[in-house]
Amino acid sequence: MLSFFLILLSAFFFTGVINVTKSIYTGRKGPGILQPVYDTIRLFKKGSVYSTTTSFIFQIAPTIYFSTVVMAMLMVPFGQSKGLISFNGDFIFFAYVLALGKFFSIISAMDTGSSFEGMGASREALYSMFAEPAFFILLGSMALLTGQTSFQEIFATLHLGSPISYALAVLASFVLGMIMMIENSRMPIDDPKTHLELTMVHEVMILDNSGFDLGLIQSAGMLKFSIYGALIVNLFIGMFPYGYTIPMFFAIQFGAAVVTGTIESFMARFRMSHNAQFIFALTSVSLLIFFGVLMLLGKFI
Amino acid sequence: MTELIVLSWLLPLFAVGLIPFVPSKYKPYTAAVFILLGSLVSGWLAVSALCGDVTNTTFYAGSFLGNVAVRIDALSAWFILIINFTAIAGAFYGTGYLKAYPDDAAKISWHWSLYVLFHFSMVWVCMLQNGFAFLIAWEVMSLSSMMLVIFDHHKIQTLRAGLNYLVQMHISVVLLTVGFIWVYSQTGSLDFAAIGTFFRGNPNTGLFMLFFAGFGFKAGFVPLHSWLPHAHPAAPSHISGVMSGVIVKLGIYGIIRMISYLHADFIVLGEIVISLSVLTGIYGILNASVHRDFKKMLAYCTIENIGIIGIGIGVGLIGMGTGSPLMYFLGFGGALLHVLNHSLFKSLLFFSAGSVYQQTHTRDMEKLGGLIKSMPKTAVIFLVGAIAIGGIPPFNGFVSEFLIYCGLIAGMQTGSIYLLLLMIMVLAGLSVIGGLSVLAFTKTFGTVFLGQPRSVLPHQPHEVAPLMLVPQYIIIALMLTIAVVPQFFLHLVNDVLSGLSPVLALDPQVATGYSNTAAGVGMFSLLLIALTGMVWFIRSRVVKNRVSAFGNTWGCGYGNPDRVMQYTGKSFSKPVGKTFYFLLFEKKVYKELKPEEIFPGQKRYDSHYLDFFEFNFIEPFTKYLIRGAGYFRFIQNGRTQSYVMYGILFILVMFLLTMFNIIP
Repeated sequence: MLSFFLILLSAFFFTGVINVTKSIYTGRKGPGILQPVYDTIRLFKKGSVYSTTTSFIFQIAPTIYFSTVVMAMLMVPFGQSKGLISFNGDFIFFAYVLALGKFFSIISAMDTGSSFEGMGASREALYSMFAEPAFFILLGSMALLTGQTSFQEIFATLHLGSPISYALAVLASFVLGMIMMIENSRMPIDDPKTHLELTMVHEVMILDNSGFDLGLIQSAGMLKFSIYGALIVNLFIGMFPYGYTIPMFFAIQFGAAVVTGTIESFMARFRMSHNAQFIFALTSVSLLIFFGVLMLLGKFI
Repeated sequence: MTELIVLSWLLPLFAVGLIPFVPSKYKPYTAAVFILLGSLVSGWLAVSALCGDVTNTTFYAGSFLGNVAVRIDALSAWFILIINFTAIAGAFYGTGYLKAYPDDAAKISWHWSLYVLFHFSMVWVCMLQNGFAFLIAWEVMSLSSMMLVIFDHHKIQTLRAGLNYLVQMHISVVLLTVGFIWVYSQTGSLDFAAIGTFFRGNPNTGLFMLFFAGFGFKAGFVPLHSWLPHAHPAAPSHISGVMSGVIVKLGIYGIIRMISYLHADFIVLGEIVISLSVLTGIYGILNASVHRDFKKMLAYCTIENIGIIGIGIGVGLIGMGTGSPLMYFLGFGGALLHVLNHSLFKSLLFFSAGSVYQQTHTRDMEKLGGLIKSMPKTAVIFLVGAIAIGGIPPFNGFVSEFLIYCGLIAGMQTGSIYLLLLMIMVLAGLSVIGGLSVLAFTKTFGTVFLGQPRSVLPHQPHEVAPLMLVPQYIIIALMLTIAVVPQFFLHLVNDVLSGLSPVLALDPQVATGYSNTAAGVGMFSLLLIALTGMVWFIRSRVVKNRVSAFGNTWGCGYGNPDRVMQYTGKSFSKPVGKTFYFLLFEKKVYKELKPEEIFPGQKRYDSHYLDFFEFNFIEPFTKYLIRGAGYFRFIQNGRTQSYVMYGILFILVMFLLTMFNIIP
């Protein structure tokens, strides 16, 4: 229950912090931290323009996308307090619920019959496919280490191990951080600020969305950031009392946003054709974690 | 009970005799009614078997076969119910589907008689437990389905697919026959129980692998899969639906039946099965994502799902080996539930694909597009099937995949590092399969149903008749039932499994725990639907009075976008094809532009993907086989004199051999 409100709260600031970081690096004054929220609220108030090619799929897809993200958000725990939904193997449900949202955002892009949107859709499908094994190996190794199979129990048991488990947690937060970039289509996978449709991933898929629907997509994006941030937070907080963990939560979310902004200010996007390999390389980092777990459990060497 | 068993073969045979004499218009209905009646009879037997009242009789079948055992235990019952449901749905759908074909009484008679026979033989495959009687039923099943596949026998492609299927099924029969004879030579009995005796006294791996290969042909495990992508597109859609939904599952039935007699070597066999299955799954879905014939794509997707079922079986086998009841129940439970689930959504997908084919007369998805406007119901049905088959909640595919995932994670507590490595790899493999199936089905759905029509069709497609839609609605209803109350089906599966291996009893507390988890998954699927409904309600309330404008799709400033400018399915899946170039061979046929061609004329560019195993192994092998056989062609020279001479030579040789006592 607690995690729900915390994630909601940090979602308000996450994108804003990224933008502010970027403007500081580029020496601009930049918009305020809440500007993305204002933009989204304005979108909610607007009417829409629809392409005559589209069907009802295009209209329901943003709704489904948004509700799957909310559903995933309900499943994220916070330290010892469970998420609203928690059962054995809930991380599988988590991944597959997000896949439902992806499914609909892909077909809604194809519904426009555009020459660009299918391109973004194809890339989104490919990249998220390559990111799946990294996520599953990561959570599988954690399940192996802790002997638990639900998010909350995995995270609650995690910190009880040796200090090495914190080293693993750092690696794991790298993997989760990269998955966060892939899921939200940020650098170095995708450049949200590019001007050319041919080089986009996520932005090109939503070219034809407008008004309320676009607002739903944007707010789902903010929530997604915050969800993955919360997962990273969970790797570290364990069973500490709330007095420490709640400030830690915001500190880590803030840190994640600043890092995202920094990466975007100093890096160029990877070549599209090499993205798939790069994402698949994440799986090997996950495998590293798996071997680390094997070592911790004394099964190895 | 005996009367019911007699009735269950009397009814179909009566129907086969009756159908040719019924007026052409009523033939399909006669077949459907008889299939319904036959299903009621065998369904009654199956339900009572699931309730614990196992049928177990024998009948005397001549001096050669001796006493043939007929048993319906819970495992048979599970498969019989699946067969019956899909066959009934297929019969009613097919009634509507075949209306589009010209009225040829003989052809229709053949088709529906064979369909009844096909259903009957499938049910009896699950009931007979005597090696040779089983093989007879198996053979009737293969032959009748082959005849059903070649319904369009004037097309050379269809005949070729039928022959391919026929040959491959007979390689499978040879393997199975050798297996049964092996058992017979060691134990002197053809009854299935003798296989158990054999396994107790002999090494297990050899015979099991023989049976696995034999049944694997039917199931479509890679590299024994190559008949599926030819047979399924060639067959009429209701036949492909039933074949893909049920007939390949009988291969799975055979494998699970053999496992129930297995005595040792569980871990090794489990490792073999699970590794093969992951490859099958990934290979199947990779091919599914690049092919442009949508029925071929569905056929490859069947191969993928057989892989998922195989992963479940492998987990179960390893569970039997390590003595972990949890893995046993989750693995086999997931596999059996996925058998049911896949039979539902795959027949659904083939039926809706058939509706598209009936209306557009093409299976090439690049020629289609925008069908959601003219066939909205079919589009929604296909969409439901596509989501379910990707194992995505809130549909039934997720439940069985979830169980298999849980089995894999439970398997990671077993200890041995090799098993651990295997489990984590399979976990990754299964997640890749899930991701790729999203890609494959968004491509297919998007290309066939969304956007604008990609070509001018011979006539405007319309929504299909209610007779074809209603069976599909019923399938969807059952799918939703499984998704919302999975615990009920889980109980059934657990009953089936406890009947199979009494040794591995699941701790009732753990069983209740998993039943609760499954119930939770069902509830949260409902919650997801409710949440979506709520957001949708809010959205429609808010935007009700807003002005919506309509216009062209954004074309980068270009104001006149055209249908040929749309992104194609081929380009959608091209990145996958490029990434996995070592498995997906693209064959391109085109002429290079020459430097002196200043004004190039019309060019033709042709590209399609080849099946890795067929192209690299099977085709070269058959080529050499044919070349080798060519050397003996002189024997078959067509001259009567030569054949008379062969006869005389044969008699002479026989005579000499007996005279010198070389053969007794």
